[in-house]
Amino acid sequence: MKRLSGSTYFNLIGLALGFLATSSLLHSKMEQEARKQHLDTQERAAVIETIAVRELTQEAVNIPEFEETGLHELVNAWIPEPSSNQSIKIIKLSGAKLLAVAPASAEADIPRRLAMDEKELFDQAKRLKTARMVNQEEQKARKPEIEVEYKNTTQIVVAAPLLKGDKAYGMVLNERGVTPFHKLASYSEAFGPLAGGILIFLAGVLFFGDSKLFRAEAGRISIGQTALALILFLAMILFWNHQLSSRLDEFGQSQLTSLQQAHQHGLTLLNPSDLNKAPALDLDRFQQDRGLLTANGQISTEKQVAFSSELQERAGGSLVGFTILGFALVLFFCFGFARKLASTIREHRYAYLYITPAILAMLVLVFFPFLFGISLSFTDSNIYNSSLPLAEIWVGLVNYTEILFDFELFTKAADGTTLINYENFYWTLYITIMWTVCNVAIGVGIGLGLALILNTKGLKMRTLYRVLLILPWAIPNYITALIWNGMFHKQFGVINQVLLMVGLEPVAWFDGVFTSFLTGIATNGWLSFPFMMVVCLGGLQSISADMYEAAKLDGASRWQQFRFVTLPSLKIVLVPAIIISVVWTFNMFNIIFLVSGGQPGGANEILITKAYKIAFEQYQYGYAAAYSTVIFGILLIYGVFQMKMSKATEANT
Amino acid sequence: MKSKRTGDVSHFWLHLFLIVFTLLSCYPILWVISIAFSGKQSLMIAELSANPGFLDHLRAIIPIPSSFSFSNFTDVMTQQPFAKWMFNSFIVATGTTILGVFLACTAAYAFSRFKFPGQRVGMMSFMVSQMFPGTLMMVPLYIIVVQYLGLGNSWIGLIVVYAVTAIPFCVWMLKGYFDTISVEIEESAIMDGASRFTIFYRIILPLAKPAIAITALFSFMTGWNEFILASIFMEEEAMYTAPVGLRFFVGGFSHEWGYFAAGSIIVSIPVVILFMMTQKSLVSGLTAGGVKG
Repeated sequence: MKRLSGSTYFNLIGLALGFLATSSLLHSKMEQEARKQHLDTQERAAVIETIAVRELTQEAVNIPEFEETGLHELVNAWIPEPSSNQSIKIIKLSGAKLLAVAPASAEADIPRRLAMDEKELFDQAKRLKTARMVNQEEQKARKPEIEVEYKNTTQIVVAAPLLKGDKAYGMVLNERGVTPFHKLASYSEAFGPLAGGILIFLAGVLFFGDSKLFRAEAGRISIGQTALALILFLAMILFWNHQLSSRLDEFGQSQLTSLQQAHQHGLTLLNPSDLNKAPALDLDRFQQDRGLLTANGQISTEKQVAFSSELQERAGGSLVGFTILGFALVLFFCFGFARKLASTIREHRYAYLYITPAILAMLVLVFFPFLFGISLSFTDSNIYNSSLPLAEIWVGLVNYTEILFDFELFTKAADGTTLINYENFYWTLYITIMWTVCNVAIGVGIGLGLALILNTKGLKMRTLYRVLLILPWAIPNYITALIWNGMFHKQFGVINQVLLMVGLEPVAWFDGVFTSFLTGIATNGWLSFPFMMVVCLGGLQSISADMYEAAKLDGASRWQQFRFVTLPSLKIVLVPAIIISVVWTFNMFNIIFLVSGGQPGGANEILITKAYKIAFEQYQYGYAAAYSTVIFGILLIYGVFQMKMSKATEANT
Repeated sequence: MKSKRTGDVSHFWLHLFLIVFTLLSCYPILWVISIAFSGKQSLMIAELSANPGFLDHLRAIIPIPSSFSFSNFTDVMTQQPFAKWMFNSFIVATGTTILGVFLACTAAYAFSRFKFPGQRVGMMSFMVSQMFPGTLMMVPLYIIVVQYLGLGNSWIGLIVVYAVTAIPFCVWMLKGYFDTISVEIEESAIMDGASRFTIFYRIILPLAKPAIAITALFSFMTGWNEFILASIFMEEEAMYTAPVGLRFFVGGFSHEWGYFAAGSIIVSIPVVILFMMTQKSLVSGLTAGGVKG
């Protein structure tokens, strides 16, 4: 037992954890790929069947003596025994008719007009028609011409357009069940190699334990044990990977068989002798040939080989990465870092205990989203491609150069006058800075003034004033914003009533760049002065009367008292308050968004509202993320600058 | 004698100024109240005649409705699903307060009382996260909370997100306050054999009541007042919070100012009351947090 010292346990834990990490990652990656492939095959089978029915229907529709009433029977003849949870519908666009349903028993009275609650079907048929038109016009396959959708995990719906000649005629809708996915391997199987590895390691330590290389002493790295752990780790991983791969191989074969069966089923539907239609079965959702079939409608042998190897490649693509991760974990333990970490945590366990809940929550809901957002900023993510992996829509620094190196601040109008380009980043930045400076100055000015007045000795009703003056701060700011939006209304707003009362013309507040800016300032000034007032009052109350007495004895005037006693004491509370209110105002979304909405023409947008509009009105997530990152960069520079400043002043005093 | 008289005179001017300023600053509130009690949906306090004169305009400015009616209040609670929205907001804000105060107190205590590796980095990252622009977080948060965790249209999703967004400010504030509490009390408690938890629960928390009140208030207000994330997370109308619902009345093409005014008064009352109850500690809490900055 003497040979199994503390650091051996750590090495053992390292080996186990490293293996668990790598093996579980590998396992979930393989399962994920297999599941994807499984869904793909299921989808494909449904699509092939739909295409076959589509081809048949199209043939029927295109013969001159075609009778709409006959289609229902025809379809039911093609699919004599639809599987229990399957239904096929054929919809005609003109007149919004349901021409056929299989299985027939589900419906009487076919053909009939679509009911109100079936409007979705009609919309889908129209959508497919549009997709086809768009693709034809642009000469490329941009929009899917076959729609595949999961109703729930067990039902899939495929919709394909029907053509009559060259015109859109209607749609074939095929809804059918999906066979559920069965796991490749249970993760519990990984405990076999794990147990084996641990046993061999223990045996090795016990056997060689006395040799110099294997001796495990506290604070020293045992080279022998480390090497043994690393070799065992690699062996265990390779074994596990081999096991998974062979399962995946089997799985790939079964998938291929299902695909072949699906094609066979399609061919039977089409009538096997009619081979010139077979290639149609191999079209993908964009009507592109998948190149999987030979002339006789069978899957070509070389494609069969490629199919399996591609699946293996995709699943095993991260093997090296995962292994390096696990390797690092083993090393981390064997080199004693883990031991140090553990002792640090033990030493400060109370501190970490108290901090963990907050840190965990922050990691998941603040720092991770933040990093995710930053990575989005390097992509072209938008509403159409947001489900793709980030690597596929990666564009590098394009968003940033578009934002930061666009200096076209002025544009020439048709009549030669120069206009400001309000969409430009630098204009928005200018407005944002003006907005922040004005608001903070107004807040501090009014707040400080009121605080000085309220702090007057012997002033009566001080509490009442203070309560009433804090009210604007107490009211939710989105309500404030909407109230002021109403008060600035051109026709009915109270502010224009005041102007009319004193004989002035009413102002269309939101139509001018400057007046619209003023509405925001007025609103924000109204709701931000109480904060500064409260802060200043607190600061003023903390100044002891003795200080003033002493100043008076020294013969200081009232101004000098303010300058040398009041201000320095106020500075302590005022500076942090200003720092934080600059950040608040810079990001004050609600006021701009709800009062002026950035009118006119986006001229009064501040950076944060602009970013919001890019993301949620133009749906350019990537560009909006880059915009937001730039905002963050500006605030960070401000923060660092501010800290340097306060350090410098601290050093001076 | 003389100095007292001059004092009174200057107080008169101060009072005059304060009364005028207070009236002005309370005007928007009075305006909303008079619209809420007007029983109409109009933006105007009084109808203007075809050719209004000075007095007509003056009438339209004075915040007293031309006819009193409670109909806006009763209608907004019964005919509109506003009561349900209020209830949602209440649950979300209360949950945010409890979770937010718990997370902030524990973290601030650790930052204030212990020296540990990662302390500086942790505090700094909390501060920096205050600067993360909300728009950068919205899309990822939606993906994490709604798509991964499946917490869309639920109270819990909003509670967790709100509580966490409030953490940095609350920790900053509480840490400043904890720092001002003398360590000697704790040391003597340790001598008496009290555990760390007892000290935290029995000594520090009661002493820090003012600052905790601020934290609670801030967390509650975060939950009660936020509407952007709420409008993204809550897609079902039955799960709307009050702010999302309120914006319905006057946003876009609807102009139901009466419902809006009545609704905003109902929504504001709890926050204003809470605010007034805690406003004394507000001053001490804010400056204590501020001193340490």
